[in-house]
Amino acid sequence: MADLRADMTGRLADLMVGFGANVQPGQIVIVNASLECRELVRAVADRCYRAGALHVEAEYSDPYLKRARIEFGGDDAVGYAPSWAVDRAREIGEHHCASITLVGGADPSVLEGLDQQRLGRDNPPTRKEWLRSVMQQLVNWSIGPGPTPTWAALTHPDLGPQAALDALWTEIGHVCRLDEPDPVAAWTERMAALSATAGRLTERRFELLHFEGPGTDLRVGLLPRAMFVAGGVVTKAGIPHRPNLPSEEVFTTPDPTCTEGHVRSTKPLDVGGTVVRGLEVRFEGGRAVAIDADSGVEVLRGRAASDEGACRLGEVALVDGDSRIGRLSTVFYETLLDENAASHIALGNGLDFAAGEDAERANRSDIHIDFMIGSNEVDVTGLTADGTRVPVLRGGEWQV
Amino acid sequence: MGDQRIDRLAELAVSFGANVQPGQTLVVNAELGREDVARAVAAAAYRAGARHVEVSYLDALVRRTLIEHGIDDALGYAPPWQVDRVKQMGEQRVAVITLDGALDPAATDGLDAARLGADQSPVRHEYLELVTGQLINWCIIACPTIDWARKVHPDLSPEAALELLWTQVEWMCRLDEADPVSVWNQRMDTLNAVAGRINQRRFSAIGFRGPGTDLTVGLLPTSNWMAAAFTTATGLRHHPNLPSEEIFTSPDPNRTEGIVRSTKPLDIDGTMVNGLRVRFEGGRAVEIDADSGVDLLRARIAHDEGGARLGEVALVDGEGRVGATNTVFCTTLIDENAASHIALGNAYPFTIGDDEDRARTNASSIHIDFMIGSDEVDVDGIGADGERVPLLRAGAWQI
Repeated sequence: MADLRADMTGRLADLMVGFGANVQPGQIVIVNASLECRELVRAVADRCYRAGALHVEAEYSDPYLKRARIEFGGDDAVGYAPSWAVDRAREIGEHHCASITLVGGADPSVLEGLDQQRLGRDNPPTRKEWLRSVMQQLVNWSIGPGPTPTWAALTHPDLGPQAALDALWTEIGHVCRLDEPDPVAAWTERMAALSATAGRLTERRFELLHFEGPGTDLRVGLLPRAMFVAGGVVTKAGIPHRPNLPSEEVFTTPDPTCTEGHVRSTKPLDVGGTVVRGLEVRFEGGRAVAIDADSGVEVLRGRAASDEGACRLGEVALVDGDSRIGRLSTVFYETLLDENAASHIALGNGLDFAAGEDAERANRSDIHIDFMIGSNEVDVTGLTADGTRVPVLRGGEWQV
Repeated sequence: MGDQRIDRLAELAVSFGANVQPGQTLVVNAELGREDVARAVAAAAYRAGARHVEVSYLDALVRRTLIEHGIDDALGYAPPWQVDRVKQMGEQRVAVITLDGALDPAATDGLDAARLGADQSPVRHEYLELVTGQLINWCIIACPTIDWARKVHPDLSPEAALELLWTQVEWMCRLDEADPVSVWNQRMDTLNAVAGRINQRRFSAIGFRGPGTDLTVGLLPTSNWMAAAFTTATGLRHHPNLPSEEIFTSPDPNRTEGIVRSTKPLDIDGTMVNGLRVRFEGGRAVEIDADSGVDLLRARIAHDEGGARLGEVALVDGEGRVGATNTVFCTTLIDENAASHIALGNAYPFTIGDDEDRARTNASSIHIDFMIGSDEVDVDGIGADGERVPLLRAGAWQI
C-alpha cells in the first residue's frame, strides 16, 4: 500500500499546486504543514519549482513548541510573535505570494493538561496580518489535507497504524476526487454546480436563514447586498484559485448584529489542537452571549473573547448531502473536511468579497472559527423581506 | 521523549553554549530529524525565562527540489523578509542555537555541482554579519540523528551506529562528566592560556610542514589568538561551538604562500570533498584539486573575491577529545576540532586588535574550514626575522 500513498501524494500535490493555489511562474510559494507531512511538502515543492516558482518557503509547525511555551513560558511569552514574523506575514501579501497550507487532525494529547486560559490567549499577531492579506485578495492560496499517522489514528482508532493511514489516504483521495481520471475536470464540474446554487440563493435576497433541528433554533440575519459564493475565487491580480480543497460549501458573510437564538454543534470542532465537543451557543443581537460545551470550552471562550468581533458571526455556509465528505460519515477532527460535511457558521472575521457592497458592515476580528451546525435533521429555511418562508435544505437536499 | 541525554544536551546548549538570557528571543535552526532536541531546547530556554523560542525546521529535501527543478533565478534567491529577519535578530540581540550534524546524503546525491554551488542564500551573509558584529550570543552544537550515524559508522546497524554516535557526542561535549560546565571552563582556561602565550610572541606568520604540506600563513600585526569562548558587544559570554578544542585567529589575507593537503574529508552541505590540495600565491588559492567534490568547492570559492583567501587559521592539540575518537564525523563543527585548520572566506574581525588591521582582514560571504593538521604536521611560529619557534609537535603544545 506504500504505492497507493506515493501515487496519492503525487496526485494531491498536482491538484494543490496546479488547481488549488494555481501557482504562477515567478511566484514565491509559502507552504505550511506539520512535521509529519514532509513527504507531501516535498512533492508540493517539486511541483512548484517545475511550475516556475521563484522560491518555496516550507514552514513546518510543531505543536510541542506551543506546549513548551504554554507550560514553561512567562506571561509575556504567550501570544507573542517576533517583529520579523509579523513583517513577514504582511510582506507575503505585498509580494503577492502563493500559499499552500496542508492540514490534518492534531494529536490532542500534545496539549493535554495545559492551562486552558493560557492556550486561549496564545494567538499571535501574525494571524491578523495573514487574514488581512486574504481578505484583500492579495494571495492565491489553498488549504488542503495532509494525511499523517497522527491524523489517521484519530479518524480510525480501531485500525492499526498502517491500515489507518491507508484508510485515511483512500478517503482523502475520494473526497479530493483524486480517484477520478481527471480530478481537475471533476472539481470544475462540482464547483460549477455549487456556483449555480449560490447564484440562485443570492437572487432570492433572503433577510435571514433559519436553522431548525435538535437543540437548534437559530436565525442568522443576512446583509442586503451580500452574495452567496462557492468554489473558486480570484485575486486582485486576476489569479483564480480555490481556497479550500475539498470544498462543498455555499457561503456568505452575514450581518454581525442580528443573529438570534440557540444552536448546537453537529460535529466536534478542533481549535488549535483542542477538541471542542457538544458545543452550544446562544446569540442575542448578533453576540454569542453564552458558550457551553462538553469539553474544550475554555479554549473557545478564550478565543471568542480575544476582540470585540470574535463573538459575532463572520460566515454562514450551507452544505448539501451530495458532498462526498458528508456521505462518508467519518469525523475527521479537522475543520477543512468536517465543515464541508455539514452547514456551518463561523465566529470572527467576515469575508469582504462575499459581503459585496456591504463589506464595511461585515464583522471584523482577528479570529475565524468555523463550527458545524448542519445535518440531515436540521432544516434550513430562507425568510424573505415580506416574511415568506422558502425551504433551502430539507434532509440534506437543495430545495432551490 | 523524556530521554535524559537529549535533555542534558539541550540544557548545555541553552546555558553554557548560547547562555540564553531572561527576556531574550531564541532562534533555533534544526534540520528535520532533530525535533526531539529542538523541543528540549525550547523547553529549557522557556524555563530560563526566554521571551520567545522560534524553531526553523530546515528540510534539505525541499532544497533538493530547488536544485533539481528550480528556474535559474531561484538559485541563491531568498525572499526579502528572510534577510530582514536576520537583520532584526541582530538589532534585537537574540540568541541563536543551531543543531548540527552531517546531512542525509540523499539530500544532495547526484545533484548538479554548479547549481548547488550557485545556490548561496543572501541570508548566510547576514548571519555572518551578526557573528562578526558580536550582536548575538550563539551556539552550534552537535546533535545526533540516525542519518548522520549511518554516515559515520556505516559498518554498524543503524541502531548501534546511533548509539555509538550519541556516546561519542556526549563524551566530546563532556556530558559524561558530573559537572560538564566546570570541565568545559577548565578546558577553555587551558586553551586561553596557550593563546595568551602565543599572542605575547607576536609571530609574523605560522608555518605548517608535513606530508604534502609546506604552507606559510602570514598574520596581521595585531592578530590575537583566542579559544571559542566569546563575548557579545553587550558583554554576554557564550560558547559558539560545542564541542570546541581550537584556538584561532584571522590571518593576513595577502600573505599565505605554499601548498597544503587536507588531512580529513570536508563536508560542504552534504557533499564530501576528499584529498583536497590547494596552492596559495600572495594569499590567493590559485590551484584547487581534490579526489572528489572539487567542483562544488570551486563554485563556492568563486562566489566572491574574498572566497579564495583565508579568513581563519586555527590550532588544535592532541589533548582534545575529538581527535582521540579517531572518527571522521563528516561535519566541520566536530572535525575541525580534531586537527589544526584554515578557512577560506570571511574573517572574524573581533580577533584583531586595532582598527587598521581589522580593515585588512578578509571579507567574503563564505567561510569554509578545512583540516590541515595531524600528528605528522609540524606547526611553527615564524618571527619577523624568520626564526621558527615550535608550536605543535606530534599534537603536543611546545609553548
